Amino acid sequence: MGKQLHNNICEERLFSSIFNKHSKDLHNFLYYKFGALLNPKDKVQEAFIKLWQNCAKISPDKAKSFVFTTANNLMLNEAAHQKVVLKHQQTKPKMSTNESPEFLMQEAEYNDKLQKALANLTEPQRVAFMMNRVEGKRFKEIAELLDISTKAVEKRIYGALKKLREDIKEL
Amino acid sequence: MNREELISKWLNNDLNDQEFEAFKNLEDYDDLAKLNNSLQAFKAEDYNTSAELDKVLSKIKSTKKQTTHWIKPLMRVAAILAVCFSLYYYTTTLDTTITTQFAQKTTIELPDASSVSLNAKSLLVFNKKDWKQEREVELNGEAFFKVAKGSTFNVITKSGTVTVYGTQFNVKQRDNYFEVICYEGLVGVTYNTQETKLKPGDSFLIIDGKIIAKEKENRLTPSWLNNESQFKSLPFKEVIAEFERQYHVNITLLNINSDELVTVGFPHNNIDVAIKNITVPLHLTHSKDNNSITLKRE
Repeated sequence: MGKQLHNNICEERLFSSIFNKHSKDLHNFLYYKFGALLNPKDKVQEAFIKLWQNCAKISPDKAKSFVFTTANNLMLNEAAHQKVVLKHQQTKPKMSTNESPEFLMQEAEYNDKLQKALANLTEPQRVAFMMNRVEGKRFKEIAELLDISTKAVEKRIYGALKKLREDIKEL
Repeated sequence: MNREELISKWLNNDLNDQEFEAFKNLEDYDDLAKLNNSLQAFKAEDYNTSAELDKVLSKIKSTKKQTTHWIKPLMRVAAILAVCFSLYYYTTTLDTTITTQFAQKTTIELPDASSVSLNAKSLLVFNKKDWKQEREVELNGEAFFKVAKGSTFNVITKSGTVTVYGTQFNVKQRDNYFEVICYEGLVGVTYNTQETKLKPGDSFLIIDGKIIAKEKENRLTPSWLNNESQFKSLPFKEVIAEFERQYHVNITLLNINSDELVTVGFPHNNIDVAIKNITVPLHLTHSKDNNSITLKRE
């Protein structure tokens, strides 16, 4: 590890660069883990404000895990555990132009099943799987983000895929 | 390459062209593609990093403003309190200074029952606040002390320090002249780090740095308290200096040895009698012109 230039982050430029680097990942992590109901954007804000207030005590390489832990705790404080249902966005790009009513109905049914199946996944499975499939992150990137091994990420994602397909078939 | 490996590689976006073909030929390819396609609809809400950063920074700044908001008035109050306190402390611990001018005498009560009489052209400094811990006065000139019983009492002068164990004594410190006379009790005089103890009637006299022995004092209080000065075998210049202080005049000596030892006395309230008293016994003549007097030997 190279020598650290700063031993705290009480400087707006440094703070901003940390924000730019981690805030989106943090937001997505919170979103896939807890859903949209608990305002992940607000939690990201709160976590970074806390980071600023404690800036003298936190070195730049600890900042990421600080905001992830803080935001996660903020979420947990607020939420009695409830099932997380991810919102289905209406702005789905259309894949085919000649959609018959029957096809559209099948499609809607399928999405319904998928939504339920996603809600049935465990939190770690859902976070890893969505980050991989939807955000297009590779195993290694997710592993760094969650502070776990690449192997564990692969296991979670593969397990999630398997479970999803089984659930969809059953439903 | 088996199916599981292919799927795993696909998940990690690691397939090469050849492997991708093999993956396409899997029986559940369509299923996976459909799933993957539908999943995109569950993407997290858009997150505008720079907009969010602006929000966070503005929040941080507004909270910062709030904190200074109550710190500033607090600092003002604290500053006022500090000024008041230091002013109070300064005035209460300030030394009390008493001075007398030409021909002026005064008597001061010290914080305990002690009293000090100051002769003309003298200065006395003491501290009311510290009086209980330390009975100490600074003196420049001549004063008579009546000291109440209690802890030691120090009189600090340029020439030496007088330590009091008992009660009544006179200190006279003028240019090149330092005299302590004890009237009652016991007085210690420190001069050049050497302490001399004086019993009632004893005196301690230094002129021009030389210790001069004097005979016993018979009076109970110094003569100047009764508005007259008495000199016994003292240089004539000391008499002249005291005369000048009491009447605020200038005396010029013509043809007279000022170191000659004389024994004279003069009252403080009648200048004509006083001049006669110091001239007649020494066979001198005088001429007076406003504030200057000339003494001449016949």
